[in-house]
Amino acid sequence: MARLIALGAFGDLLPLQTGDVTCTELTHETLFSIAPYRGQHKPVSAAIKSQLGLSLPAVGRRTIAGDVICQWIGHDAWIVSAPVMLDGLAAVTDQSDGYAALEIAGAGGEAVLARLVPLDLRVSAFKINHTARSLLGHLPVSITRTGAQAFEVMVMRSMAASLVHDLQEAMAGLAARGSA
Amino acid sequence: MRINCPHCGQRDRREFYYMGDAVAITRPAADAGPDAWDDYLHNRDNPAGDTRDLWYHEAGCGAWIVVARNTLSHAVHGATLAQKAAS
Amino acid sequence: MGYSGFQIIKEGLFGQKGWKPLWRDPAPKPRYDAIIIGGGGHGLATAYYLAREHGLTNIAVLEKGHIGGGNIGRNTTIVRANYFLPGNQEFYSHSLKLWERMEQDLNYNVMHSQRGLINLFHSDGQRDAFVRRGNAMINQGDDAILLDREGVRSHLPYLDFDNARFPIYGGLYHPRGGTARHDAVAWGYARGADQRGVDLIQNCEVTGIDIENGVVTGVQTTRGPIRARKVGIVTAGRSGQVAAMAGMRLPIESHVLQAFVTEGLKPVIDHVVSFGMGHFYISQSDKGGLVFGGDLDFYASYAARGNLPMAEHVMEAAMTLMPMIGKARVLRSWGGIMDMTPDGSPIIDTTPTKGLFIDCGWCYGGFKAVPASGFAFAHLMATGQPHATAAKFRLDRFRTGVGLMDEEGTGSQHNLH
Repeated sequence: MARLIALGAFGDLLPLQTGDVTCTELTHETLFSIAPYRGQHKPVSAAIKSQLGLSLPAVGRRTIAGDVICQWIGHDAWIVSAPVMLDGLAAVTDQSDGYAALEIAGAGGEAVLARLVPLDLRVSAFKINHTARSLLGHLPVSITRTGAQAFEVMVMRSMAASLVHDLQEAMAGLAARGSA
Repeated sequence: MRINCPHCGQRDRREFYYMGDAVAITRPAADAGPDAWDDYLHNRDNPAGDTRDLWYHEAGCGAWIVVARNTLSHAVHGATLAQKAAS
Repeated sequence: MGYSGFQIIKEGLFGQKGWKPLWRDPAPKPRYDAIIIGGGGHGLATAYYLAREHGLTNIAVLEKGHIGGGNIGRNTTIVRANYFLPGNQEFYSHSLKLWERMEQDLNYNVMHSQRGLINLFHSDGQRDAFVRRGNAMINQGDDAILLDREGVRSHLPYLDFDNARFPIYGGLYHPRGGTARHDAVAWGYARGADQRGVDLIQNCEVTGIDIENGVVTGVQTTRGPIRARKVGIVTAGRSGQVAAMAGMRLPIESHVLQAFVTEGLKPVIDHVVSFGMGHFYISQSDKGGLVFGGDLDFYASYAARGNLPMAEHVMEAAMTLMPMIGKARVLRSWGGIMDMTPDGSPIIDTTPTKGLFIDCGWCYGGFKAVPASGFAFAHLMATGQPHATAAKFRLDRFRTGVGLMDEEGTGSQHNLH
């Protein structure tokens, strides 16, 4: 099958850099949401373990195996970045084009997000591979810490431009102030 | 007002959508008759004090939760997943 | 005691020492012809019209706190008759007519100011909806003028007409709309009722409603039992608790609605203005404060104060509509307890108990309804028949589904109004 060129959700809005904070697009070529049927949580976890080598993470966590991620995305729902076969165990939905994702990196990343997200995202409270659903400005997002100074923010694709707009404003505000 | 989501922990009220009295999870039988359905749909105890109501964590995990709360003080006592409260 | 220009000058010259209390402070009698539970605007107006229109003067108004301490003192004072649906239309039209002669009727200055109300619209679809509403208002005999963008600009030059997201397309102008001094309305009706012999009994909480064989016989209060063959419940904000004393569950959920006022400013806003795209409305009080409000906080509450998200939303809407308001400082905010019905319209009706009547469910629109609600409820209590202007405010409309008045068009469901 011909391999299509993946076009980013953000067009030429990204990358951004202001001060030491960078904002770059992340591309998950495939994304599938998994909603286990009632009582099927354990079989689903076992099936994913055998197929992808990782288990369903706990609430608020992400697991990684190689370049495949599996992430809690909400009530009884996860998202995984590789195809899985879960017939009879879970509702699996292709979300590849549903989400847009970006990375915020740099020493000031936490301070940028602190202007927009009503959560304690400091590393002491929100460690690597911790993930949360909340609001960024007025946008519902999924935020994951991916490194000591790096976060991944996922948003529904239709809100990609609004996400960049809010981040850009916060980055500029932070830079103008000179420090967090 | 902050609501304690069973999945997400303490979150600001603005992440939640309000559905009303938790009576909504005790739906009458389909053949219960018009008076029972009228009562279920419209009439409310509407307490001035402790109440249980149904909220949707719209800008969070997407769970429906039953929140124990006080309508006079806005104190939130606790919350359980509607899934568990209803079963 | 009557008021006149002469008397005001005389009192001004002699230190304002000649004024007397506006109403007596009687002890409750053991028996009345009728009892009204609730000494707010609606209850006092009911007592006044029972005495004036129906000659019933052996009546008492029982108030748990003080006269005018409830929602009549906690609103944004807007008076208008711009409703769209039959039922609400004739009622609010009647109410505005009563407002227009209230000061003469009561010989009391309620500072009713028909400064005009302008509802802004921000899209073609919204214009269509307001054209329809305007036509409905004109058919009802009230006034409505469709303003285009320049028309609005001539009245309200200070608005942001070119907001990128919500540009102003025009407005529906209701010249007879306006404001009134909220607690003066309560005091005016209290004085008028008292002058006609009605006993206004404050600090008298009703603790029980006596019913024998399905017929009301009186009430229990913190100041002893009082007998009466007719009892009217007019306790919006606490309707559920009082109705429960008569074994009723009401189609009402109580919500909090916030309002805000800035420090006093020189005259700047000489209309009542409402934003069509965010829930926001504003006017300027005679003291100079900008009085404004928004939508419900949207959760059941009796706290009479709101939460910050709605305050933030209201401020955002204010800044969107009139950026100049950013210079003003908010002095205080408050909340009122709204009797929310599933369809957003009120209830004035009999109950399953003979002799027991109820007037409740005023949602976020009780202030402008004060005179007509009192008028119609007095008619119902005196004659047993609904007044023509309020005949559609039936308690059973939710059960039957007939005659629902859903002005917002969102459906007859509790959490949607």
